[in-house]
Amino acid sequence: MANPSPLLDFDVAALSQKLRAKEISPVELTQAYLDRIEAVDERIISYITVTADVARELARKAETEITAGRWRGPFHGVPIGLKDLCYTKGILTTGGSKILGEFVPNYDSTVWTRLREAGAVLLGKLNLHEFAYGATSSNPHWGTCRNPYDLDRIPGGSSGGSGAAIVARTAAATIGTDTGGSIRIPAACCGCVGLKQTWSRVSRYGVMPLSDSLDHTGPITRTARDAALMLNIIAGHDPNDATSSREPVPDYTSRLGGDLKGMRVGVIRELNTGISEPVSRAFNAALKQLGSLGATVEEVSIPSFTEGSLVAMVVLMAEALEFHEQWMRERPDDYGADVRSLIETSMTITAVNYVRAQRERNLMLAEALTALQDHAVLLAPSQTTAAPRIDDSSYDIIANMVRFTGPSNATGQPAVSIPTGLSNEGLPLSMQIVGKPFDEVMVLQVADAYERARGPLPLPKL
Amino acid sequence: MAKLTPQTAKAMAQELYGYELTDEAAVAVANAAGAMITHSRRLGNLDLNGVQPPFGYPTLLAEAERIRKRG
Repeated sequence: MANPSPLLDFDVAALSQKLRAKEISPVELTQAYLDRIEAVDERIISYITVTADVARELARKAETEITAGRWRGPFHGVPIGLKDLCYTKGILTTGGSKILGEFVPNYDSTVWTRLREAGAVLLGKLNLHEFAYGATSSNPHWGTCRNPYDLDRIPGGSSGGSGAAIVARTAAATIGTDTGGSIRIPAACCGCVGLKQTWSRVSRYGVMPLSDSLDHTGPITRTARDAALMLNIIAGHDPNDATSSREPVPDYTSRLGGDLKGMRVGVIRELNTGISEPVSRAFNAALKQLGSLGATVEEVSIPSFTEGSLVAMVVLMAEALEFHEQWMRERPDDYGADVRSLIETSMTITAVNYVRAQRERNLMLAEALTALQDHAVLLAPSQTTAAPRIDDSSYDIIANMVRFTGPSNATGQPAVSIPTGLSNEGLPLSMQIVGKPFDEVMVLQVADAYERARGPLPLPKL
Repeated sequence: MAKLTPQTAKAMAQELYGYELTDEAAVAVANAAGAMITHSRRLGNLDLNGVQPPFGYPTLLAEAERIRKRG
């Protein structure tokens, strides 16, 4: 196999400078990514649909505009992928399902509209766990998505394709969605950055729902800076999504590049138990690194987070049942076994279960805000272990994979997953940085400072 | 621990959703339901009386307006 193009080595921040300076052609860059997809994606299955013609057309347009001096911003001419839950007008949008296996939307999701208007180039629609309802991305209808660091392991999910594509270099940046951890889990398993911003910060219009109260749409990228650049484009009120926030949108890159002097950060006691030795070792090393950057690291307690993922799951399952109820009645055999089983389980959730879980979210956020009164951000490992094997049927996904991520869905707080290194087996490990609502600037500041101190991770050998 | 029988789980799925649970699925669903009911009872013991669940009136107004405009 030919060596991958050196153009694939650049993150979005570097690419945008080179594209703007006309040192790189968007057409050449897009072709390099399409060649990479052709070369490796048969093994990874990060894509469900590759939109090569659309990509080439958008790249040509970007080249014409940039050449004429009409640079639109950091994503102009940058090749990206969208989780196949995001509507794209005239392009197959399956939700990773058989049920929507031929669905072609007649309008665009707002997230794609904003990225398209910013000049991004769409490489295709990324693989995911069926209907985003699971964390393995072992998709029975479109192929099992695999972890580029070890093809026998899961990439996490539900946005598995979005995470795998970043480290396999089959996209420069991607969009994922997160209801119980579906951006942060694949970012953790694959060794990239996944940002679940504050609930309502990014429009959900045209994104297939899993659970309206908990769904988020956000970036999966190589670096914290790239996540900030992407959030700059997709954040903000959308008249088509009544729940989208009218809070002013700051420049999310504004505090990148600094240190953490004088900052107090809190380690969440309840989310730092029952973890594997490699996760623990890497997490403790990361805490030490934060200390060397000037932060004071202290332990905080948020008792309601102990069962926070269960609260999130009750809400998620109840709302997901409402979306799937008709298909379950009419086409149950068209669901994969695990998703079908989750929907079946939802059928006994009572109204009392649901309302109490919703009300509990207030208490969880109140306790988190108390901890954040004296601390800039809160920290926890993203996952209890490194990515499990695809064939490990004994692995309890809900108990392990959603345990540390679900609480931030229930509270709606911003949370980023960032790699803390590789295990001795060569598998990515990671931590979460959780902030105050709408304080993504702070979350990204800490992530960026840590990331620069940590240095680059070795790439997977594909 | 609250208990729901597999028969009850089957009946709920059938009566409420017109859906046939297999015997095997009914056992799993009944167990999960028991755990969720227990959790719910625990939440019910917390002092959250009078605390509103997070459903916002601005969203209600905005969505009503969107539906009205749709006709």
